[in-house]
Amino acid sequence: MNIVIECQNLWKIYGKIVAVKNVSLKVSEGEIKLLFGPSGSGKSTFLRCLAMLTTPTKGEVFLRGEQLTKENAELDKARARIGFVFQHIWLFRHLTAVGNVELGLKRVLKLPRQKAKERAMKALREVRMEDWANHHPAQLSGGQQQRVGIARALAMEPDIMLLDEPTSALDPELTGEVIDTLRDLAKKGMTMLIVSHEMPFAREVAEEMIFFDEGTVIEKGEPERFFTNPRSERAQKFMARLIKRTRRE
Amino acid sequence: MSQKLDVVQILLLILGGVPTTLSISLFSFLMGVAIGIPLSFAKTYGGKFPQILVDGYEKIFRGIPELVLLLMFYFGIGYYIPTPFKNAFFTGIFVLGLRSAANQSQVYRGAIRGIGEDQMIVARSLGLSKLLSIVYVMIPQVFMFSTPGLGSEYALLIKDSAYLFFLPGITEMLEIANGIRKATGVTTTPYLIAAFLYILLTFPIATWLDKWGSRKKKQLGM
Repeated sequence: MNIVIECQNLWKIYGKIVAVKNVSLKVSEGEIKLLFGPSGSGKSTFLRCLAMLTTPTKGEVFLRGEQLTKENAELDKARARIGFVFQHIWLFRHLTAVGNVELGLKRVLKLPRQKAKERAMKALREVRMEDWANHHPAQLSGGQQQRVGIARALAMEPDIMLLDEPTSALDPELTGEVIDTLRDLAKKGMTMLIVSHEMPFAREVAEEMIFFDEGTVIEKGEPERFFTNPRSERAQKFMARLIKRTRRE
Repeated sequence: MSQKLDVVQILLLILGGVPTTLSISLFSFLMGVAIGIPLSFAKTYGGKFPQILVDGYEKIFRGIPELVLLLMFYFGIGYYIPTPFKNAFFTGIFVLGLRSAANQSQVYRGAIRGIGEDQMIVARSLGLSKLLSIVYVMIPQVFMFSTPGLGSEYALLIKDSAYLFFLPGITEMLEIANGIRKATGVTTTPYLIAAFLYILLTFPIATWLDKWGSRKKKQLGM
């Protein structure tokens, strides 16, 4: 299988704080992997290092075999091929929904106006937001905003989508619509690395779950194993807490 | 000039200076935008060296009285480089524009801080270069965040255009008011009328700008 993104022995150190500790990981074409773990365990930092939004302190990142962690790597071009969805959504507040989606198409992919518009609308349709195309972010609910955020990344037709807790900033009743959108993407075979604690969703779509704690991978394996019989004690404890919480909801 | 000018005649005469006053303020304001925006971004996102340069620039142009700068450029530099510095209109705009850029740079920097890092990070994540992110994502929002500061900066420029009174060959409002006083001996009315016009030129626009900005920010949830 073609490896889309890969990192080897990745470290991110801020002064005395080790945020990411020696992580190696691969995501292949069409795969969906799910990263989970306690908050503050470095998942977001790790994801940002993979997208080279934060420069790793040590280690290598490859996008389709092309090394991004070298001098003169064309990072802007690489980032355009990595769709990133942020935990706190972060739409461009001065632009409408369709303006948000078009920006990268026009300014990075240099599509002509009409073509950019068509592709942006297509992406908005995929997340069922086309009726809201001309609304500004402030006029949308959190769930709608996040769907626009996903459309914005999707419209670039990226090689992979990295999603950083796409539902955790949303009210519980709004997470469903975003999860549905992600499920649609999964069906279409989108390659994804998702940070999420939506366990039923994980069980349904993920090929592999990766338990992350204290900046590093503690355990990885098929979802079933995590639900029935996690090997590490830390993963056991964390899963127990998550499952209890999910039942409560 | 006749000895018996009534208020309306004085007003009409001084109104003749409005285009000059207004164009000096407007052009120096625009020059301030054109220089202030790059300065603010250089100081925010540039390395140490650009930061020191911008800092020095701001200190110089905010620290020296505008009148000193005006006379220095017109008589001092103008002595060696008469074109264009011996043109009071040009030098007035040039000096006030440089000073305004120093003020505006600080206003924009506050706006950049107000917008926050996230917008820049998202733009970069889409593959936009730093420059494109600044142009298409940051600058439009910077203006919305800056309207109160820009309003007072515009008002300041209208007022500071009166310093051009001290340069020869330019007839802005104060020059005309003063001329009327000299010619007619009417000591108070010309200045009162000029004062009134200065207020009329500053506050409505500054207030409108402030309100427009607040409304826009509220609309966009900033």
